[in-house]
Amino acid sequence: METADLSHHISRRFNADLEGVRTQVLAMGGFVEEQLQKAVTALVEGDSGLGEAVALDDRKVNDMEISIDEECSRILATRAPTAGDLRVIVAIIKTITDLERIGDEGEKIAYIAGRLASMERPTDKYREIKHLGRQVEQMVHGALDAFARMDAQAAVRVAREDRSVDEEYESIQRQCITFMMEDPRTIRRALDVMWVVRALERIGDHAKNICEYVIYMVYGKDVRHTQLDEIERDLAARGA
Amino acid sequence: MNFTWSFALARAGVAFGLALIAGWVFGGMPWWLAGVIAAYLCYHLVNLFRLNRWLASRALLEPPNTGGLWGDIIAQIVRLERRKRYHKQRFIRMFREFRRSSAVMPDGVIMLTRTREIQWFNRTARRLLDLKPKLDVGLRIDNLIRVPEFVRYLDEGRFDAPVVVPVHANGGTMLALHVVPYGEGGQLLFARDVTRQSQIEALRTDFVANASHELRTPLTVIMGYLDTLADDPALGEAWRAPLAEMRRQAERMNAILHDLLELSRLEATGARAGDEPVDVGGLLSLLRKDAVASSPRPREITLSLESQAQLRGAAAELESAFSNLIQNAVRYTPEGGRINIRWWTDAAGGHVSVADTGIGIPAEHLPRITERFYRVDRGRSRATGGSGLGLAIVKHALQRHGAELEVVSEEGKGSRFTCHFPPDRVIAETRRAVG
Repeated sequence: METADLSHHISRRFNADLEGVRTQVLAMGGFVEEQLQKAVTALVEGDSGLGEAVALDDRKVNDMEISIDEECSRILATRAPTAGDLRVIVAIIKTITDLERIGDEGEKIAYIAGRLASMERPTDKYREIKHLGRQVEQMVHGALDAFARMDAQAAVRVAREDRSVDEEYESIQRQCITFMMEDPRTIRRALDVMWVVRALERIGDHAKNICEYVIYMVYGKDVRHTQLDEIERDLAARGA
Repeated sequence: MNFTWSFALARAGVAFGLALIAGWVFGGMPWWLAGVIAAYLCYHLVNLFRLNRWLASRALLEPPNTGGLWGDIIAQIVRLERRKRYHKQRFIRMFREFRRSSAVMPDGVIMLTRTREIQWFNRTARRLLDLKPKLDVGLRIDNLIRVPEFVRYLDEGRFDAPVVVPVHANGGTMLALHVVPYGEGGQLLFARDVTRQSQIEALRTDFVANASHELRTPLTVIMGYLDTLADDPALGEAWRAPLAEMRRQAERMNAILHDLLELSRLEATGARAGDEPVDVGGLLSLLRKDAVASSPRPREITLSLESQAQLRGAAAELESAFSNLIQNAVRYTPEGGRINIRWWTDAAGGHVSVADTGIGIPAEHLPRITERFYRVDRGRSRATGGSGLGLAIVKHALQRHGAELEVVSEEGKGSRFTCHFPPDRVIAETRRAVG
């Protein structure tokens, strides 16, 4: 009777630990989402002050990553989790790396936003970047939602969006090349825009990675470097 | 003891009495007694069996008709059963009504547990916050609504006002989220779509800022010419007074525009002020010097600094707030009056007060004096040259520092304006001495 009670107690504390670290990850995710949103806004609206603020705040993302990393090591050392719990911890450790990278890319965008704010704005007012930014923000949001809900199907859906982000990236790239050929004076700005678009495309990839960790966390299947259709068929076969 | 029990006891007594009599008359007393006890036991066992069988499937069977003590017990069970069913049905009906009514509520409602887990939400909440029915029950709300400002709102636990946050999932929707604690640790979260209101609000703020900005340039030109004209010796004597008045009014317009811009800047830059350390003592001494130098009427302005502590905040905003309070005191205190500026700290945080022996504010005006352009006495405040925006600026600047403005005033005797800053905004003096 007593031992049963003890083990129950331990597992409950363990659950609380896991839940706590998951909440920390999602809080970090929320912060990164906001950073990304602000960075894109700073660029589109030419707000150099906002850009600087975002670039400065990236430090907080790094702090969060370190603190979550330490918490995960502590859980691994003291609780020695197995099976599903272990997968959750592994997925968390990987997820925060990707979140931190998203933060870095956001910082890059914010930094360039500060520089572009002093330059003449193009006639389209960065409409394409705004659109791509919205798309990528939604991917990150969807990936984190799937993480919160442990929803593998939603994760597959979000991962699929990466393709359209890639297409958008290609099309903006082509557009930039055209601009540069038409008017060499825009080369400097176009190069900066290329950097931003490239960063957004990378963020899309990181969001896709997070989706893959969600699938791994829920089904214990490593789906990196696998075709999405195959994953979906697989999930359907498991009756998910 | 009711009738059934007396009857049952009497019956048992009679049976034992008969057994005793029979044993005494015919002999073999133990056998007679044993026989009666066995019969009695059988009677109860049979009834127990019938009761048990009926209880096991009481939804289908009629209650057994036993009469006597057992009949009484069965009747009570039936009564209990009926009451329970009635309450259950009433509860189900109420719950169904509640669900129906909550579904058509214009506001989103989410029930949260002590640990912020979602227990239940209505249809509007589902739509506004993009929640998934069933799947999201049991998840922590701050895992799904991850906007840092909302998470901070939950952590701080000051739920007297809603927090307005953008909800990304719906693309630019602004929601006002308001937590209301209920019962023991439970929380209700109300969500309302305020996208339109915040757009209108933004439009209004932008308009005021742009209009003031646009008005400034022509005003500067007018003021420049007025200055040149006033200094022109060729100007007739009859024009001196009107020109002086024109200059005064132009100055006032300039002051109003300055305050309007200041106010819209305060409104535009986020909800929380910065974190730089501000030396309150130094700031107040400077402001006092300004007040002494600029005021046209001689009077006593004292400064009592009872703390060396600093405040965490935005220096420019704090300066503008304190300076407005001091200017007001100067403006409304007649010759010979006294003004005391005080800075002190205690367990409740830091406090700056400006007390005067001026004309005071009638009690009925107190709740409204921080509104824009609100005047206690229209004629008088125009004559003294205020913009009508000073206290609105004070209120906004303090709000952004999490501080509160307390006003105590008595007509004819004077007023005291006190700014209360929360403890987490105060940097204690000991730490400064070490650093």
